[in-house]
Amino acid sequence: MSILRHTLLWTAALLAGAAGGAADIKIGLAEALTGGAAQYGVPIRNGFQLAADEINAKGGIQGSKILLVIEDEQGKKEEVINVFKKLIFQDKVLMIFGPTLSNSMFAAGPVANAAKVVAFGTSNTANGITDIGPYIFRNSVMESDVLPVTVATAVKHYKIKKVAVIYGNDDAFTKSGYDVFKKVLADQKIPVTATETYVKGDVDFKAQLTKIKATDPDAIVCSALAEEAANIMLQARSLGIKAPFIGGNGFNSPKLFEISKQAGDGTFVGSPWSNTNPDPANVHFVGAYKQKFGSEPNQFAAQAYDALHIAAAALKSIKLTGRLEADRQALRDALPKVSINGATGPFKFRPAAPKDGKPGGYDADQKPFIYILQQGKFNLYTGK
Amino acid sequence: MFTQQLLNALTLGSVYALFALGFTLVFGVLAVINLSHGAVFMVGSYAALTLVTRLHLPLGIALPAAMALSGCLGMAIDVLILKPLRARNAPHLIPMIATIGVAIMLSSAAQGIFGAEILRFPEGTIPAGEFTLGEVHVRALELSIVGISFGLMAVLFLAIRRTQLGRALRAIAESPRSASLLGINVEGLFHATSFVAAALGGVAGVLIGLNFNAITPLMGQPILHKGIAVIILGGMGDIRGALLAGLFLGFAEVMSKAYLSSQMGDAVAFGLLFLILLVRPSGLFGRVLERKA
Amino acid sequence: MEWLANFWATYSTLVYSVGVFALMALSIWLTLACGLLSLANAAFMCIGAYVSALLSLHAGWPFGATLAAAGAAPALVALVIGMPTLRLSGVYLAMATLAFGEVVRIVVLNLEVTGGPEGLNGIPQSTTGWHILAILAVVVYGLLRLQRSRVGRAFEAIREDEVAASLMGINVARHKLFAFVLGAVIAGLAGGLNAHYTFFISPREYGFENAVDILTMVVLGGIGGLAGPMLGAAIITLLPELLRSLHEFRGIVNGLILVLVVLFLPKGIWDPRRLRALFGLGPGRDPGC
Repeated sequence: MSILRHTLLWTAALLAGAAGGAADIKIGLAEALTGGAAQYGVPIRNGFQLAADEINAKGGIQGSKILLVIEDEQGKKEEVINVFKKLIFQDKVLMIFGPTLSNSMFAAGPVANAAKVVAFGTSNTANGITDIGPYIFRNSVMESDVLPVTVATAVKHYKIKKVAVIYGNDDAFTKSGYDVFKKVLADQKIPVTATETYVKGDVDFKAQLTKIKATDPDAIVCSALAEEAANIMLQARSLGIKAPFIGGNGFNSPKLFEISKQAGDGTFVGSPWSNTNPDPANVHFVGAYKQKFGSEPNQFAAQAYDALHIAAAALKSIKLTGRLEADRQALRDALPKVSINGATGPFKFRPAAPKDGKPGGYDADQKPFIYILQQGKFNLYTGK
Repeated sequence: MFTQQLLNALTLGSVYALFALGFTLVFGVLAVINLSHGAVFMVGSYAALTLVTRLHLPLGIALPAAMALSGCLGMAIDVLILKPLRARNAPHLIPMIATIGVAIMLSSAAQGIFGAEILRFPEGTIPAGEFTLGEVHVRALELSIVGISFGLMAVLFLAIRRTQLGRALRAIAESPRSASLLGINVEGLFHATSFVAAALGGVAGVLIGLNFNAITPLMGQPILHKGIAVIILGGMGDIRGALLAGLFLGFAEVMSKAYLSSQMGDAVAFGLLFLILLVRPSGLFGRVLERKA
Repeated sequence: MEWLANFWATYSTLVYSVGVFALMALSIWLTLACGLLSLANAAFMCIGAYVSALLSLHAGWPFGATLAAAGAAPALVALVIGMPTLRLSGVYLAMATLAFGEVVRIVVLNLEVTGGPEGLNGIPQSTTGWHILAILAVVVYGLLRLQRSRVGRAFEAIREDEVAASLMGINVARHKLFAFVLGAVIAGLAGGLNAHYTFFISPREYGFENAVDILTMVVLGGIGGLAGPMLGAAIITLLPELLRSLHEFRGIVNGLILVLVVLFLPKGIWDPRRLRALFGLGPGRDPGC
């Protein structure tokens, strides 16, 4: 009995040694893999897995393999704090990617910041995320960097005089997009004929669109996720609305025209990523993703993929000592200097402005591309 | 614009009514608030989708098949879970909690099998016709949803009013014990009711999945909340009430979005429910229930 | 010792959550003890959380004062809506309180001061384990005393038979309102505590699912005594964490456990009579009810 137990223990120890040797670089990944936010969390995890496999296949980082410790945070506040603590104190990861939702980062970010561990969001676009503290990073581009360019381009192209607005008002992502749109429209002095809202899970937008139609806008500004946006477009067309759409970050998914077909033609979208961007880094990413997962990547997957390459670049620039606290700090200090050319194009960080005298984290410093939807495809807008 | 909003309200209202139909039937006969009804609705949608995409069946076959499948699921829930609870005369909250467990299981299973992404029917599944009448745009699909909803409700209503089976059901709704003393096979009718209710839920799932082009593991949740509001307004267990209340809620929601503020659409719906309950404690169209819940 | 420190660093939030949800479960248990099925407690928790967070963030109140406000604000609301609603019975009361909960959630979602769907962030982390433990102890002690007092016996009489209770001279409406308001105070305190250890609150934490979750805790644990709801709260809070290694299957197992408990443990997990029977300490059979 006791011999058997010993053998088992030894085998277990050996297996553990083989699977997660001391030389591995442990990186935590906290994403919503079940529940309502899983539709973003799952592609994000895929993007990370693809990048990790590629980096490890090329020999890892200075001979060490990247080991992703993946945890499901379900998009729930308490869960995400528990997961962050588990990754930081139990799994002793070097840094954490995630969580999926901006709201979750507001809950879990302070935990990582207090423990002096980098929390790196790839899908958090809300304002104020990086105000949490100097250990908070993100490569997701804020709407306030993208939308002014999108609106100005569309206004010039269509000679827009007045617009109507529709947005999801119970979702932090679409609501913060709307807040930016509102400010941009006021700054650019474009009158709004009607402001309509819907809530998550709504699939019928006709009441709002009928109202919008009556105000006869030149364009419809829409802060919505791709699926909702596509249904809004389809229902708008079936109500006989001809005005083009101007979309936020949520539009940037192949889902948009998979569903809306040609209903979205003429839509203007600004985004750091598009699957048709001909840059070799992006072409490689899109091909590899399709091969590995059998589906089209989206923006969330692309930003996740780039994020791991950003971390890898930082890791290559430092020497890991094996002392956890020192290594975590070294990684934190190396990250802001990274600049890469990834699936989302050239990328570097920009320090967030200090708030109330406290130092902030780092936001993405990327130029958005402006796309126009034509025949159910995103085409880079070149200005006639 | 008003005529268009009327049509919008009619579509939304019949969707609510169709969903609430099975929901209210189970409550009327089994006296259980079946919170797995939303999950059954979701299963119906996925079943039809799988039949269309994997077996390449036309919708005309996939729809009844999905209806039968969700019916069987409903009956299985009744036989495996609700029946033992009835047998030991559990207080009315207990079966409700059990159905919450079922709903969690079903939606997790759906996510495990189909993933969390939004799925949709392939192009060409849906009859694509649409036409314009003056100011009003109408899609053939919407008309068929209104038609199917009203058709099913009429059939159910007549079945319960006019047939022997319906009389037995009404006897059970009054008192299961006296019904069984009268020689009615109460357990058998409970199973049958669960089958019919779940089948109706499944159809609603397919139709709504088609109309709004989005099938997700959690699609049953928002409509479940509306369904609860509808059966309360309609008077619990009252089929005609569910129809009226479904339409009423659809109108209240669309009109408050159209003429008040779209932000408050849901608040208006639930605020109205709250107020109506204060004025009429058994719902807008409900009789006063003497039997203690 | 280092192991313990590490364990606490990892799981302290989880332990806090168990305490807070034990309070929530007790708040619903209290209304159930008086025969009221109310689903408004998630909304009272929401009001408590927002009031205390706003006072901490904008008015700079000390933590103790914000907690007092977290208990008082929902109590006021409960007093106002309780008077007309509590005459509804059974399922209708449940639905009216559910509708009230939805209205609260939607209003919070659309107000400027509550931050809308983005919620409130940067709430100071003032709650410690001691706060939760102390409040839980006071609530448990108070409820135990209440159970054995005249009021507690009146609750029981109302739960068993409302008409008979009123014939015996018990003021049914007033007792119901008392249970409802006291439940709101406990839920509001739980909300205030919760807001001050999670940094962040948003309307989606206080919806229908959460109301049902809390009710589930009570039914699962057993409504026979105070231990049941607290045990139920601990199980529902810990279960997803314990099942973490199951990944995608954890929802299925979670749901299955719920169904099995309901099927095979009729009075909830904490059933003193069954436990006594199990250890051979007394009559195991339920005497004729």
